[in-house]
Amino acid sequence: MLQTRERPKPVVLPAYCKGCGRCVSACPQHCITLGTEINPESGLIPVEIDLEKCNGCGLCFAACPEPYGLTAYDPLMDLDESYLKFPDEDSSTAPVPQEISGETLPLPPVEPLMIKGTYAAAIGALLAGCRHFFGYPITPSTEGAELMAKLLPNLNGVFVQAVSEVATVNMMYGCGGAGMPCMTFTSSPGFSLMLEGVSYMIGAEVPGVFINIMRGGPGLGNIGPEQADIKLACRGLGHGNTHAIVLTPDSPQEMLDLTMLAFELTFKYRNPVVLLGDGYLGQITGKVKLPERMIKPGIPSWGVYGDDMHRRNLICSIQLSEPDLEIHNLHLNEKYQRIIESEQRADCFHCDDADTLIIAANTPARMAKGAVQVLRDRGVKAGLFRPITLWPFPIDILAPLLPKLRQIVIVEASNGQLEDELRLALSHAEIIDVPPISHVRHFGGVLPQQQEIIDRVLETIDTEVTS
Amino acid sequence: MSVFYRNFERHAHGAGLKGHATHYCPGCGHGIAHNFIGEAIEELEIQDRTIAISPVGCSVFLYYYLDVGNTQAAHGRAPAVAIGHKVANPNSIVISYQGDGDLASIGLAEIIQSAQLGIPITVIFVNNAIYGMTGGQLAPTTLMGMKTATSPQGRSRMMGEPLRMAEMIAQMEGPVYVERVALYDNKQRNRAKKAIKKAIQLQKENRGFAFVEVLSECPTHLKMNTAEAQNWVKEQMVPVFPLGVKKDITVEPWFEMQAPDFNPQKLVDQIGAVSDAAPKFAGGQFPAHLHPEDIALKLAGAGGDGAQTAAMLIAQAAVNEGFDGTHIPSYGPESRGGTSYADVHVARSEVLSPAAANPHILIAFNAPSLNKFGPQVKPGGIVLYDSSVVSEPPALDPEVKLYGIPFAQIAVDLGSMLVKNIVALGALQAASKLFPPETFLEAVRRALQHKCAMIPLNEAAFEWGQKAVMHLGDMPE
Ligand code: SF4
Ligand code: SF4
Ligand code: SF4
Repeated sequence: MLQTRERPKPVVLPAYCKGCGRCVSACPQHCITLGTEINPESGLIPVEIDLEKCNGCGLCFAACPEPYGLTAYDPLMDLDESYLKFPDEDSSTAPVPQEISGETLPLPPVEPLMIKGTYAAAIGALLAGCRHFFGYPITPSTEGAELMAKLLPNLNGVFVQAVSEVATVNMMYGCGGAGMPCMTFTSSPGFSLMLEGVSYMIGAEVPGVFINIMRGGPGLGNIGPEQADIKLACRGLGHGNTHAIVLTPDSPQEMLDLTMLAFELTFKYRNPVVLLGDGYLGQITGKVKLPERMIKPGIPSWGVYGDDMHRRNLICSIQLSEPDLEIHNLHLNEKYQRIIESEQRADCFHCDDADTLIIAANTPARMAKGAVQVLRDRGVKAGLFRPITLWPFPIDILAPLLPKLRQIVIVEASNGQLEDELRLALSHAEIIDVPPISHVRHFGGVLPQQQEIIDRVLETIDTEVTS
Repeated sequence: MSVFYRNFERHAHGAGLKGHATHYCPGCGHGIAHNFIGEAIEELEIQDRTIAISPVGCSVFLYYYLDVGNTQAAHGRAPAVAIGHKVANPNSIVISYQGDGDLASIGLAEIIQSAQLGIPITVIFVNNAIYGMTGGQLAPTTLMGMKTATSPQGRSRMMGEPLRMAEMIAQMEGPVYVERVALYDNKQRNRAKKAIKKAIQLQKENRGFAFVEVLSECPTHLKMNTAEAQNWVKEQMVPVFPLGVKKDITVEPWFEMQAPDFNPQKLVDQIGAVSDAAPKFAGGQFPAHLHPEDIALKLAGAGGDGAQTAAMLIAQAAVNEGFDGTHIPSYGPESRGGTSYADVHVARSEVLSPAAANPHILIAFNAPSLNKFGPQVKPGGIVLYDSSVVSEPPALDPEVKLYGIPFAQIAVDLGSMLVKNIVALGALQAASKLFPPETFLEAVRRALQHKCAMIPLNEAAFEWGQKAVMHLGDMPE
């Protein structure tokens, strides 16, 4: 007969009992004994319970590691049924997640600012709705972080100086996973340290903006301006099938504009975005116009925000089953393809009639722009093609310019990392008819200078003329 | 049990037994810790607010089970991820669940930092003295002499002593509550359940960081049955990892964060943008006598000479007049006391190349700078140098106009060496007619708007710099 006491008594659901015996030693009334029969479903030997002496003390429940190993006895329950049946098929009791949408707000009209590149990027982040910054100080990116440290508390934002770049990227993983726009400033060696976390963010589809003010390498290198991390950002974002949009500004104005764009894109694609500057660009002061509108972010439907509306969500990069992980990678590939089709950006300076095309990004593009102007003054049909996205490389914008060209000169502050991106893009686009490619390269913090770019262009033209 | 998913869909798509059984080995302590967390969440009525951080290790799949917000973290980084979540939504209840390899080995830096930060999060540290998921290797908490896959002869002195995390965390300032509990009998389980609930409640009450170390059984890698494993924890682990409260201080609720501010006017004020345009004095006239489109200047001296400030003021003056201006400082260690130089461009419409390798104008504050950059000045260019420190200027291109002005001496005579850069700016104006004097003075005044008392001295410095150039003919060279 059933007792009328409220305290529940245990029933073992044989298939879910692993026969560990923890409940056996837990029961002071010796109600539970190790079983003898193998359960055909689990292949394990569940315990047996005799409720005769049971006083409902509950100690067996507390001892059982299985959430559904022991269940409270209910007179209506079918004891022969080894599976739990729930009235509703849904595994979670949480509501279906909804997006809480953001807003754009008009900004009062103001005069242009005279600010350095790192400050412009920090201000761009604030305008894009970022109120969460995580970072570790590293020259030459620190001034951006310092400005965030100064301004964020006044805007009820959060600045956390992490114990390392490794911790930084994982704080971003948490904050971005919650659906909040967040960012860091770093520089080459720090960026290397973040890459594991970037791979996790890409795998788990977590947004976040990385501003990498690149410096000379390898190793500790120096703090001079180098485009040292093009390869890392375009080809090496941690382990696995990883890509992220890589933006390359060339002025303080673009540091602001592209940082704002980075926040838009990182949420649009649920993928980190990398903004590559160089040491010079971080330091250069220039005129910066503020936009007409700023962003007040909402909470995306997928965020693990910590409220009822988002309780059902999961941020996770592990897919244990091989077919599942393949499906996930195909999903990422589809996203990468959409990015390649929609997000190529470049700036063309005197490209329309150019027969000599200089290709450069970041500060070297400024030197190249000066060179193009001088060459034009001398009657050389030079143009500058400046990728604003390095991944995806703006090959669709470049391709129509190629037939008119007699030469391409790649100008970069790295050992051919930009040229590699160009050549890969040409190859993937199956463009075979390419004019001769030469280059001006410097590294270690030395930047290509306007005059040597001019000299290289003229040298090639002279060789052509004489031969 | 309501805090557990009704069907473990994420466990192999919830098919068959996996829909209701955990992935843990029989007798593993993890499931008990999960149950206690689930019960605490239920009793504290925080299911909707809770975010559980799954680690890497056997408990990597914590997110299969608890029906709360879930994030799976990289190995060891769960506390950093937890901080990210907590500051993203201070109202969330964040529980970082970690094993011994995760927390006490690869994630040491993260757990130490988050404990010391003291932001209310709850860390449940399951210590079973061995690596489970990777197959029974040496853990930082493996006992001395204990044989594991990577200490087949037993843990020796060469592998270091086991790490006592609860004690380490308890001696820090940040945490409010640290306890070590176990799961091997009814009494210990009762304590463990209470400790876990308390650690979460302290977070709910915004009191601080709480840490519970749970001594747990890994029967599989101990190669024991559950009863033997329970006994092993009691007999072998507890002497090395004493149970009990390690820290429990009463702290009033302190953690509070306001909702982020998105007021546009406030943001504009914070970044220092102003709506009133600086007045123009040049009447739209670009100083084409120096170059029709783009004028390059270099300012060079020692750190502290004020070259960067003067450079900034020139670029600002250009922008105020409606032109483009850029300034690049030398930076890095050399800017902390060594040489300091700045490249400035003033362009009619757009500065193309911002470097000034061959400037039209050089301002040199000392002899090394003059010697280094003087020869690079374009023919027909202007060189201004501090004649109070340079006695013998080098021979430069005869087409370069050379002005020796005692910047420092004038500044000292005015009462402050600090304004020698403004003296130089006055001299630059008089020598080059780059912009009208008022353009520079306005830029100086705006830069000093929060230090108004300094304005008269700076104005005087500028004026004396101008005069020094105008009366250069009268001065003995
Ligand atoms: S409730 Fe108490 S008495 Fe009853 S079986 Fe469980 S442990 Fe034994
Ligand atoms: S404790 Fe749970 S899993 Fe272990 S034998 Fe008892 S009922 Fe089965
Ligand atoms: S290996 Fe050990 S810790 Fe891992 S699930 Fe099995 S018993 Fe638990």
